[in-house]
Amino acid sequence: MISESFEYHVPKTIEEALGMIGEFGDESKVLAGGHSLLPMMKLRLASPKHLIDIGRIGALRYIRESEGQLELGALTTHFEIESSSLLKSKCPLLPETAREIGDVQVCNRGTLGGSLVHADPAADWPAAMLAVEAEMVARGPHGERKIRARDFFVDLMATALQSDELLTAIRVSPLPARTGDAYLKLHHPASGFAVVGVAVRLTLAESGSIGEARVGVTGVGAKPYRAEETERLLAGKSPTAKRLEEAAAHAADGVDANSDLYASGDYRKHLAAVYARRAIQRAAERAAGR
Amino acid sequence: MSAGSIPNSPVGSRVPMVDSFEKVTGAGKYADDLVLPGTLVGKILHSPHAHARIRRLDASRAGQLPGVFAVVTGKETPVKYGILPIGHDERIFADDKVRYIGDNVAGVAAESAEIAEEALRRIRVEYEILPAHLDLEKSMRAESNLIHDGRPHNIEKEYHHHFGDVEAGFKAADLVRFDRFDCAEVTHAALEPHSTLASFDDDGKLTVWSSTQVPYYLMKTLAATLEMPEENVRVIKPLVGGGFGGKSEVIPLELAAAVLARKAGRPVKITYTREEVFYAHRGRPRTIVELKTGVRRDGRLTAVEGRVIQDGGAFCGYGPVTMLYSGQLLNALYDIPNVKYDGYRVLTNKPACGAMRGHGTVNVRYAFETHLDMIAAGLGIDPAEIRRRNLLKPPCVTINGLRILSYGYPECLERVAEASNWSEKRGKLPFGKGIGIAGSHYVSGAANPIIRSDQPHSTVNLELDGEGTATILTGASEIGQGSDTVQAQIVAHELGIALDRVKIVAADTARTPIDLGSYSSRVTFMAGNAALAAAREAKRQILNAAATYFDVPAERLVLEDGRIFEAGNRAKALPLAQAVLLAAKPETVLRATGSYSTPAEARGGKYKGAGVGPSPAYSYSAQVAEVSVDVETGQVTVERIYAAHDCGKAINPLTVEGQVEGSVWMGLGQALEEEMVWKNGRLMNAGLLEYRSASTLDSPEIRPILVESADPEGPLGAKEAGEGSLAAVIPAVANAIYDAVGVWMTTLPITPERILKALEEKQRRTGS
Repeated sequence: MISESFEYHVPKTIEEALGMIGEFGDESKVLAGGHSLLPMMKLRLASPKHLIDIGRIGALRYIRESEGQLELGALTTHFEIESSSLLKSKCPLLPETAREIGDVQVCNRGTLGGSLVHADPAADWPAAMLAVEAEMVARGPHGERKIRARDFFVDLMATALQSDELLTAIRVSPLPARTGDAYLKLHHPASGFAVVGVAVRLTLAESGSIGEARVGVTGVGAKPYRAEETERLLAGKSPTAKRLEEAAAHAADGVDANSDLYASGDYRKHLAAVYARRAIQRAAERAAGR
Repeated sequence: MSAGSIPNSPVGSRVPMVDSFEKVTGAGKYADDLVLPGTLVGKILHSPHAHARIRRLDASRAGQLPGVFAVVTGKETPVKYGILPIGHDERIFADDKVRYIGDNVAGVAAESAEIAEEALRRIRVEYEILPAHLDLEKSMRAESNLIHDGRPHNIEKEYHHHFGDVEAGFKAADLVRFDRFDCAEVTHAALEPHSTLASFDDDGKLTVWSSTQVPYYLMKTLAATLEMPEENVRVIKPLVGGGFGGKSEVIPLELAAAVLARKAGRPVKITYTREEVFYAHRGRPRTIVELKTGVRRDGRLTAVEGRVIQDGGAFCGYGPVTMLYSGQLLNALYDIPNVKYDGYRVLTNKPACGAMRGHGTVNVRYAFETHLDMIAAGLGIDPAEIRRRNLLKPPCVTINGLRILSYGYPECLERVAEASNWSEKRGKLPFGKGIGIAGSHYVSGAANPIIRSDQPHSTVNLELDGEGTATILTGASEIGQGSDTVQAQIVAHELGIALDRVKIVAADTARTPIDLGSYSSRVTFMAGNAALAAAREAKRQILNAAATYFDVPAERLVLEDGRIFEAGNRAKALPLAQAVLLAAKPETVLRATGSYSTPAEARGGKYKGAGVGPSPAYSYSAQVAEVSVDVETGQVTVERIYAAHDCGKAINPLTVEGQVEGSVWMGLGQALEEEMVWKNGRLMNAGLLEYRSASTLDSPEIRPILVESADPEGPLGAKEAGEGSLAAVIPAVANAIYDAVGVWMTTLPITPERILKALEEKQRRTGS
């Protein structure tokens, strides 16, 4: 199908983009890589009157280390993350997640920020963002603010970002010592989206028992979440197969699971437990090797 | 002289398809690529209701819209049609009733797609909604609000066959087993959507370019529904981007484009959206198969009784043929002395089903081959062995009247067992890994035409010129399966010339002789035989002329590498081009015709329904699947498929292997993930993201094995290659899953959730 007609704008700076967002308000949409928004426009699920293409703002596209934190510009593409040697050594969960996203075209054009703001319930990034406790940097008319990942995802395709704000950067902390991470997902056979995806960052104490485990889950419910009961059951325990399985069994506790033609809600919850156990297991093995 | 012994013959060579260059470079033209000056865009108004009476229809506001050139409604299209003479129940546009969501209510032709869509929105239709029949088993018990007049209980057709005495067979058995299988409705998902361009010239003659597998039947249906003489209708088939049976009957847009073009006085093109393709459908129906089989302790089958119910959708289409193939091919892979078949084709308020690759055999074969493995497990007999113990002994005629001359099935079984190392693996792999075997077969062309006729099934004209170039004129329809290539190879082989000296003009009803179309895997066998006969006739004329030239008897002459010489005396040779001119004198073009009709002995028995199923020859397949099952998630991974196919003679091993691989993919899609999901008559997955079919990226390793049983009546021994392999892969996978995790999967598709459920049930039953 063909989208409704719209006016196309190309700001050159963040300030110019913010000006346009302020001016056009709810009648506008911000275009990054276009791999989520454009299909929605073609299906007429979104029909913005103004399309603000931030794709040429070079200042939004970088991966760097500053003040002990890793910072990614919102326009960084999935492929840039997948191939970043800095991230591979300091936060390997991100390249591992990027590898699981879509196809070559999506990886080359799609952006981290675009995916996060779109907040598709089956997107991969939210699980990883939750597991590494990322901070989203938002710029608005009144300056900059930081939003924690667990506060960022509000509901189905809804985030804490205000309509006059632009997501500019994502900050994550590098992998600490004795820590391992992992992202595992079941690909939807046609779309490649996560039927269920589980990202884990797990730190072992000196004793070899689990210090802290953070488990981010995507695909199961309307929004991504931290599997808190699983995390609680892991803390302080030694990572035996039985313990991991017991803890992972709670990975979808209390979640109102999505149901579609490919997977029922019950199957999704079952998969969440299976993938949580596998991802925790892998993260624990990696932690032991560091 | 056998085919293989001619030096430099393209027959038996892995030559690329003759149209591959234009396809790969994008230069080739498909129906939607064609534009004539002044071409209008045609669009169709579809019914939003599954079952409703049209109370009132007002299209006047559509016609008033600037840029609209024609609006046509059901009042103007009274002639009923259907692919089968016994099933004329469709109209171009609905008259009094709509029978499925998507049914065709009216058409418009306009200057642009936007104007055409706006015109559709301006058509006002008042519907009286009727109760819809959506469930197969309820519909066949319905008493009121029936879908068609004259179809009590919404049963389109039922067949009841009984050969031998099944009760006696069950008495003689040591074990009688009953199983029920349920196969989801699936569709072709050809990449090219249906597209038709129709144009009338000043003399009122119609030319239609359409993505069709059956130009000849389309020509006849256009003439009938537009009430025109057949000689004024010309159908041309451009390149077709896949058919798989979905283009083997007349699809509404083909007639709608023509009727709109006539009214508009300008050419009209209609190309379906992907959603419209899904609603036009004509794919494989949801099928319930119940099988009861008797077997002796030694594995010999004594009787089979099959009850098959198919959800045919709202129109007849090919339905009775599907029903009959399901019955006729139920038993005929094996030697079974007593056979009973009850088949019911049921109407429901959904798009009509029809022919799809492996037409009529696939679901029944899946059921039978899985059921046979269950029987083998019950008796403790190896699955490969139970198949060996029930083989036919050709030449023979099966109990239901199918004549079988060549039978490569035993060799197929042996070759896949050997290639897969079957005996070392079956029952011996670790839990979660499994191996399964299954067989299948298919017709090499229906022995009887769809419309009764004494004409040959296929005729090929051949023209040779003074340059030594041969031009084939054939009605056969290339749809990507290699129809043109195989005919060119046969002619080049027979005339001893290079493949690039053969040109082909195909599938143009005004220029090419009659061929019935690309369905029932008939083209290589029938058009191939016609091409062979034409080439042999041309060769006879050429050698006779050369005999005069050399003054030796024609039998002593050899035609090879574009030259004619006396056997043993290559030095003194007459170039073929020169011999053509000698033979053609006083003309400059040598013409020869060849045709193919099926022999009377191959046309089957005399009982009701005996006409469908018989074929001059049958292909055979055996496949072994290796799978792994993740018992925690239910995900099945097909690791490897060994696919042996008896094609009689591989005229082009490259394209035969391509057909086998394509069949495997298509079968895997049906086995593991494809299903049309309906809710209140609406298709919930009318798109390729939601209706998921397997692509090359999902392909397991496939090892095609070609078996050549050299059929005595096939062209150079060749038989069918495009469909038969599909039916074996589904039961091979189901049987491998049993070997892997010990559960029988009796519902298609075999989804992860169904696997988990079966594993849970097994655990409850066995406590382990």
